[in-house]
Amino acid sequence: MSHPRHALDDLLGHPVRFSITALLAAASKVEFSFVRDHVEVTDSMLSKQVSTLEQAGYVKVDKGFVGKRGRTWLSLTKEGRRTFERHLAALREIAQNENGHFPAGGEGGAQRRMGTSKQAQTREHKW
Amino acid sequence: MSDSAPTPRDAQAALAEANSQAVRVRREDHQLAWMLLGIAAIYLAVAAVMSTLPDPRRAGPVAGPAILAILISGLVACVVIGLRIRAYSRTGILLYFGGIAAFNLWNGIVVATSLITRWWAPAQPSYHFGLSVALGSIPLLVVAWLIWRR
Repeated sequence: MSHPRHALDDLLGHPVRFSITALLAAASKVEFSFVRDHVEVTDSMLSKQVSTLEQAGYVKVDKGFVGKRGRTWLSLTKEGRRTFERHLAALREIAQNENGHFPAGGEGGAQRRMGTSKQAQTREHKW
Repeated sequence: MSDSAPTPRDAQAALAEANSQAVRVRREDHQLAWMLLGIAAIYLAVAAVMSTLPDPRRAGPVAGPAILAILISGLVACVVIGLRIRAYSRTGILLYFGGIAAFNLWNGIVVATSLITRWWAPAQPSYHFGLSVALGSIPLLVVAWLIWRR
């Protein structure tokens, strides 16, 4: 299996879940309302997608209070961060191969070839 | 593992989306820069008031309450900014606390040097105090700028 699609994560194939994960990947912690505003989804939609990501072990949910106001903080777990990085590396590889030819390298080739696109990585994913 | 592959164009759009989300978090880190600027502003405002006094050891009826008002309003502003933070990155937090640590260290050096060299002494003019404080606040301003330009 040499096609980088094999390194893609099915859960992150959903555009809303991808956006949520991309936002969380750039941060240590993010408040629920911040994610809702920037991913442009409703509270219920976000709750649903966060639950899915939480069940998969990608997202951690912390609830706290500031005065009397409840606040929910979201963060990526180590597993979630690793999966997102792998997913992103596969996307980079697909994006770089506009002609559709992928060099052989077996499963996980996307990760191994990440080093060749270091500049693109810095440009696209700076955190 | 996925059976269907996105097209290169889809992949590029996803990468652009990931980048734009990262930019949003970095922008939110600007609140940390505002907090550092707030601390620097408190410090410099107190120093400015102290510099106008004929004798820094005697604050007087106006300067004392003025300094107290600066401290309270500055601290309230920093707390309000802190409560408004809705996202922060690891780099932003590291820079913020690194800036506070650097400020404490550098400020200690400036104060010690001012005392040892008698730049701060009863016979010296009040503006000496203000100049040392301005020098001491440099790390706060530098780190605020570093967070801002990310």
